[in-house]
Amino acid sequence: MKKIIELKNITKSFDGEQPVLDNIDLDIYSNEFLTLLGPSGCGKTTLLRLIGGFETPDAGDIIFLGERINNVPPYKRNVNTVFQKYALFPHLNVFDNVAFPLKEKKVPKEEIEEKVHEMLSLVALKGFEKRSVTRLSGGQQQRVAIARALISHPQVLLLDEPLGALDLKLRKDMQVELKKIQKQTGITFIFVTHDQEEALSMSDTVVVMSEGKIHQIGTPVDIYNEPVNAFVADFIGESNILDGVMLEDYKVRFSGQTFHCLDKEFMKNEPVDVVVRPEDVDIVPVEKGQLTGVVTSVTFMGVHYEIIVDVNGFKWMIQTTDFVDVDERIGIELEPDAIHIMKKSEYSNLYGDYSSFSNELDELSEVEEEDEDE
Amino acid sequence: MTKQKTRKEGRVAKTSYYATLGPYSLWAMFFILVPLVFVAYYAFTDNNFNFTLEHIQRFFTATSQVIQEDGSSKEVYTYLLIFWRSLKLAVISTLICLVLAYPLAYIMARADAKTQKMFMTIIMIPMWMNFLIRTYAWMTILQDTGILNNFLTFFHLPGVHIIGTEAAVVIGMVYDYLPYMVLPLYSIMAKMDVKLIEAARDLGCNGIGVLRRVIWPLSLPGVINGVTMVLIPSVSTFYISQKLGDGKFFLIGDAIESQYVANNLHFAAAMAFILMVVLLVCMGFMQFFTNRHVEGGK
Repeated sequence: MKKIIELKNITKSFDGEQPVLDNIDLDIYSNEFLTLLGPSGCGKTTLLRLIGGFETPDAGDIIFLGERINNVPPYKRNVNTVFQKYALFPHLNVFDNVAFPLKEKKVPKEEIEEKVHEMLSLVALKGFEKRSVTRLSGGQQQRVAIARALISHPQVLLLDEPLGALDLKLRKDMQVELKKIQKQTGITFIFVTHDQEEALSMSDTVVVMSEGKIHQIGTPVDIYNEPVNAFVADFIGESNILDGVMLEDYKVRFSGQTFHCLDKEFMKNEPVDVVVRPEDVDIVPVEKGQLTGVVTSVTFMGVHYEIIVDVNGFKWMIQTTDFVDVDERIGIELEPDAIHIMKKSEYSNLYGDYSSFSNELDELSEVEEEDEDE
Repeated sequence: MTKQKTRKEGRVAKTSYYATLGPYSLWAMFFILVPLVFVAYYAFTDNNFNFTLEHIQRFFTATSQVIQEDGSSKEVYTYLLIFWRSLKLAVISTLICLVLAYPLAYIMARADAKTQKMFMTIIMIPMWMNFLIRTYAWMTILQDTGILNNFLTFFHLPGVHIIGTEAAVVIGMVYDYLPYMVLPLYSIMAKMDVKLIEAARDLGCNGIGVLRRVIWPLSLPGVINGVTMVLIPSVSTFYISQKLGDGKFFLIGDAIESQYVANNLHFAAAMAFILMVVLLVCMGFMQFFTNRHVEGGK
């Protein structure tokens, strides 16, 4: 695969404050759907704006197909952006919005018409040409923004949380559609989101960021199954993160028991973080369990139950399709491939068990996050 | 049900709505509507308050002799000439205001909050001073032996004769009315979404392209407002022309004033009425133009 963009040692700060981006290195390949994922304030939008040409880095280089483009203005870059709130021109109708870049390039009229129609059918908006953009629904405005950004065939399309303003159902549809458009056009998509589910379902490559640093770059499966540290494990999906000691290769001890695992090449008796995904925990009768605990809460989630189990004071989250009752005592069994070992990091003690867990709180903090993005 | 649909959001109860509307309606009636009716009434009546078109006719037909530069005299339509001159100077002043105010408003709207406040104060300060004093100040600046010419002679530059020319009147008007152009432009540009400018740059526009294709069309309602706010008072302006124009450029405002002072109330009212009708027609045109443009996409 061909490298299309290289970011080298990118550092950026605003008004002399804490760097928003701290020594970022990232290679982006052609034909790739790459997602920048992280909580708000992690620098993902700034990184996108650097690639778009709306900011210049304090240090480091942005290389586009082998050429340094740090100071190239946006209109000279073969990169287009779909903005968070679409930024459609309110004084122009759908046709003129989509035709905007071509008119700037003085493309002949017939060719413009042909291309606009082609684009509008790509985003399923045929027949809306004369409609004023202020009279479109959020989903339709989104499609116009995508058509407008794609019409001049950029080599890279930047998408800044484009689905954030849509409701859940529409968002799911657009996810599928965006992926389809990316496949169809073969354009590299760089997608920014704080929604881990969105990132996992759409991307070829996920880049997990926080506090201006990249934690992990990998395929969605890698990121989910092999998180590099407690931050990534906690941010992507649900995880039980326990303190453990690596006794020897393939043998780890935590919660007072020794377990077989698939990890090796740690030092003897090295303290580690152990990640167990809630869906990888098997519930067994008490006498057969490697660990035993008392169920403290059961929540019905539709596809499965989410239960919290107290094992010697550590609260585990388990997702299961079997019904168990609150206050029931159950056994827990862990297959070797359910256990993932990570090196200790600065994030090790920030994420623990599920003792303060509540769905409601989770949603509340998500809303706040979106507000901060403004 | 239909009633509820047409009701504006945020309006709680009908009675309290009309109760708060009451004082303003009264004010508008006594200080806007009634005086307008009086103007019209005086315009179409003679000294005994009988209906007549005499004054309206006089405006369009009265002639007088003017001495031309070569010494010969020429007969002209007195008031039509005055009206034309007023309109010409007003349009020139308005255009100069627009050219000066547009970049200023843009710079202000994009500056940080502190700078915006400072700009705003600088623009507002002259408005705190009486307009007569401002006009007198310009007289001392522009006179043949005034500040400007002293300044020029000090640097051994040739002096300029401005006082008593149309240019002096235009300078005075631009100075007086510039804030009325800056403020509506500034308020519309401050509201403009920066993302739209970024989007235009992203989609291939350089600076001029962004101005021509995004900023200008989106600022048009502000331009129309500013033009209206400057054009109307400058068409009917008086006194500035008497002081800075050395009384050589009688404007329609001066004409109305002098008729009023001479106690020709009916003819003064007729001139005011005609001026009002012309301005209303102009405003109607501009409103129509903006509405069509802002709706867009049609």
